Amino acid sequence: MTAVDPLHLFGSLVGSAAWPALRLVLHLAFFLAACVVLWRAWAWLRLTEPRSAVGAGGWFPWPLLVLAAAFLAVLGYQASWQLTGLFRPRFVAFMQSHDRREFNPAHRILRGRILDRRGRVLAQSREIEGRVRRVYPFGPAFAHTVGYSDPRFGAIGAEAAANAQLNGATPQTLASWGELGRQLLTKTKQPRGQDLTLTLDSDLQLLALQQLGERRGAVVLLRPQDGAVLVLATSPAFDPNRLGPELFRGPAPGTPLLNRATQGLYPPGSVFKIVMAAQAIEAGFSGTLHCPAGGFTTSRRYPPIRDHDYYSAQKAGRAWAGFGNLDLTTAFAESSNVFFAQLGVRYGRDAFARTGERFAFDRQVRLYPGTDRYGSLSTGRLPRLAASDQYGLAQASIGQGRVLASPTHLATIAAAVANRGLAMRPRLLVQEPAAPLGQYMTAPTAARLAGMMRKVVTQGTGRGINDAGLAIAGKTGTAENPRGAAHSWFIGFAPAADPKLAVAVLVEHGGFGSSVAAPIARDLLVKALELGAGP
Amino acid sequence: MSAASADTGFAAAWLRRRAERELLLGCLGCMALGFVLILGADAASGRQLGALDLLPLALYALALAGVHLSLVAAGFRGDQVLTATVAFLSGFGLLAQYRMGDFHNGPGALTLGLVPAGFLVMTVGALAFANGRYRVLARGLWVWAGLSLVLVVVLLLTGQRFRGAVYALGFTTPTEVLKVTIPLALAAYLERQGQALARWHPRLPLPPWRALWPLLAFFAVLIGLLALQRDLGMMLILGLAGLVVLASGTGRIGYLVYGLLAGAGLGALLLTVFEHGQRRLDAWLDPFQDPTGEGWQILQGLSGMYAGGLWGEGFGIGSPEYTPIAAADFIYSVIGEELGFLGCVVLVLFFLILLSRGIALAGPGRPLFGRLLAAGLTTVLAVQTLLNIGGVTKSIPLTGTTLPFISHGGASLLTAFAASGLLLAISDGAPGRPAKPPRGRAAGGPPADLKPRKVRRKAVPREPAAASDI
Repeated sequence: MTAVDPLHLFGSLVGSAAWPALRLVLHLAFFLAACVVLWRAWAWLRLTEPRSAVGAGGWFPWPLLVLAAAFLAVLGYQASWQLTGLFRPRFVAFMQSHDRREFNPAHRILRGRILDRRGRVLAQSREIEGRVRRVYPFGPAFAHTVGYSDPRFGAIGAEAAANAQLNGATPQTLASWGELGRQLLTKTKQPRGQDLTLTLDSDLQLLALQQLGERRGAVVLLRPQDGAVLVLATSPAFDPNRLGPELFRGPAPGTPLLNRATQGLYPPGSVFKIVMAAQAIEAGFSGTLHCPAGGFTTSRRYPPIRDHDYYSAQKAGRAWAGFGNLDLTTAFAESSNVFFAQLGVRYGRDAFARTGERFAFDRQVRLYPGTDRYGSLSTGRLPRLAASDQYGLAQASIGQGRVLASPTHLATIAAAVANRGLAMRPRLLVQEPAAPLGQYMTAPTAARLAGMMRKVVTQGTGRGINDAGLAIAGKTGTAENPRGAAHSWFIGFAPAADPKLAVAVLVEHGGFGSSVAAPIARDLLVKALELGAGP
Repeated sequence: MSAASADTGFAAAWLRRRAERELLLGCLGCMALGFVLILGADAASGRQLGALDLLPLALYALALAGVHLSLVAAGFRGDQVLTATVAFLSGFGLLAQYRMGDFHNGPGALTLGLVPAGFLVMTVGALAFANGRYRVLARGLWVWAGLSLVLVVVLLLTGQRFRGAVYALGFTTPTEVLKVTIPLALAAYLERQGQALARWHPRLPLPPWRALWPLLAFFAVLIGLLALQRDLGMMLILGLAGLVVLASGTGRIGYLVYGLLAGAGLGALLLTVFEHGQRRLDAWLDPFQDPTGEGWQILQGLSGMYAGGLWGEGFGIGSPEYTPIAAADFIYSVIGEELGFLGCVVLVLFFLILLSRGIALAGPGRPLFGRLLAAGLTTVLAVQTLLNIGGVTKSIPLTGTTLPFISHGGASLLTAFAASGLLLAISDGAPGRPAKPPRGRAAGGPPADLKPRKVRRKAVPREPAAASDI
């Protein structure tokens, strides 16, 4: 090869700075040449006809029309992927997680921000070294609700539920449609998505997490009137800024991926007595039940169900005489197991099952649009009791045995009491309209129950949080569980006379609900009303 | 050939085939630009270029020159746009295959000779059967029919299964030949039996059974064998070609209606029998159900095209290696990725021109056998193209057919060239016609003779006026 080898020259040209521009010119020239050939072919086509096509004048080539229509249809459908693929959220998600082409615009979509109700940024996209990365300023605090969007691990939470909007594919105003068209035509390198506002309140969420501290548990705070969720805290959590494969490898210690607030199922313990009290009120229960210190059982073969007072007296070395005859209100305020176990057995398993259905147990309720399991709420599980299993029914009636519920669902129950019996579907997106979840009880029942719950705080097991500043109504719970110390529960609402907020607090293995969960709920409610979180 | 007349001398033929020359040169220029783009991308990625890298382009140029010169030398009068369209499509295919690294094995690569061989097949076919000689092929009715069946049987007995279909040794697909032999057999049969087949029951919508049964029996056996082979794409292509030839040979749309109904029924039946087809159907309806399994190929193809956008980044810049079997069935998605939507539109327009020539040949004013053969071959090409493009773009379920002239694959490429050779031969016209074309309407007439259509339109109203004068 000589020194003026054209290939060598070409090689050095490719290496030079002019190549990108030249490449563009060549690319355009290729198209131009193809179009010129097309145009000339078309011209010759009109001038020449295949020889001997004599008398073809009357023959209309309708097969050509059919073919052209078929090709046009295919091209049109192709365009719906190739040019407007942004409108197919699952397609964009596929590309973001599975397409390795560097120049795929799906990787450069500047997703919209996710904001809390005060406009604080919970998630945003930043360009770092040519690639767009998702940044979560609060780290683990909102990990479960906001979720994450990662090319390797996919998307969950609000990131998954509002994927299309965040990617900019569902413009809501005429101007944003115009912007999308411009991005399409100019083949912009950075399509920009739209922001998403959540109902969460970052101040309250951080407060709830701070109160939980190192303990495992969940806190839910929502507005009874419209179901807007202000706090959906769960602990422990993971950091969405630093996802790694080890997070997804089998059940990690502490299971940080589990959204305890919406998917965690726990024995509700005494807070379930709200459900049983509602059942009793609607069945017209009045009068008293005898609640001796010896407890209650359905058969001698089973140990009797006793009250907490019996055990605490025993621990102190004292004798306890028992409650004697209790009416519903006092039994509720004192959280008498013996009373509610008898009550459940008295009305039977069919009534129990009907009540459970009415309170929306055994259901998946969606929290965001979309149907994946990260975006939904497990309400809980009620046992299917055999007719002979009276003891099981007695256990279930005090929220033990095989009864399970999620913290968010228990919050909707407290909210239903506060909202005259009507439970609103918990929702996280501001743009979503409020929707009812179910009429858990009648309005008079709710009113009576609300009074009973207020009494729990003023005179019953919740006395410890009876703050003069704020009238809280609620119910404590201490749920026995096979894995250690009892779970600590508190669910309630405030202010009692004109409820604006409903709350559910769970602390795993926290001990007495009155001493662990209830103070967290009180602090949160006080702070929330201070911040004017009500409707 | 007919060198006796001065009008058909080399100089006249040279002048007459100006259109072809111009278009072929255009194709060559376009492909040269494409080659420079690909070589540039290769060099930019660090590959050392050698003189041998220009070999495919040089061979392509030589082949085009060879085709043109032999057609001119033979005084060929057939279609000129058709050759140019074939040249463009195969050149485009060459670029795509080159881009996929098909020729990087060096000058000994067998694939290097494929496109020139294809042009040779086309030219030889066109010249051998020109001037009406293609009608000899009608005599071979039983040869074509028998050959087709034997091919499928032999393939079934000796082939090996791969990805659900049967391939011959070395992964060639000899059944591709069926795309020519079946239209030949169909046209030959319809030329003989067309009259009888057109005589339907006077009152009931029933076709004549006696004339129809040999055709039905043959197709039943053929479709059955192809079903055993699970070649759904070939069944569709040949079945539709059969129906179109039948309908155009008899002028009875009823055949088309019955045939499509029967085909729909058969398709539904086959889908319930073969889970292979059912899985493809599921992957088509919802590829996101199993995105990393059944939906992987189609979704990777589509995301490649999405990455290409409106006009792509240029030949050689994409990453088609992420799409499985991109060089064969999914070459269209590579074109969509590197040349964008506009590249696809250009490609489709060239296909449409090719098909429009075929349809024009199937129009009136030609011997019946030629028209039917043109109809059959054109239908095969059209259905094959639509099946491939439709499958890759998720418009229809994937059938695993190749894109004519573009996809990698020797048998498929040569068959497409052979079919275009036959189309060219048909366009040359019937024997016994005067060597000099009738005025004003010659296919390959010299440029001076080329008249726009309005001349003819003007002539039409004049005739009745003249008649009333008399």
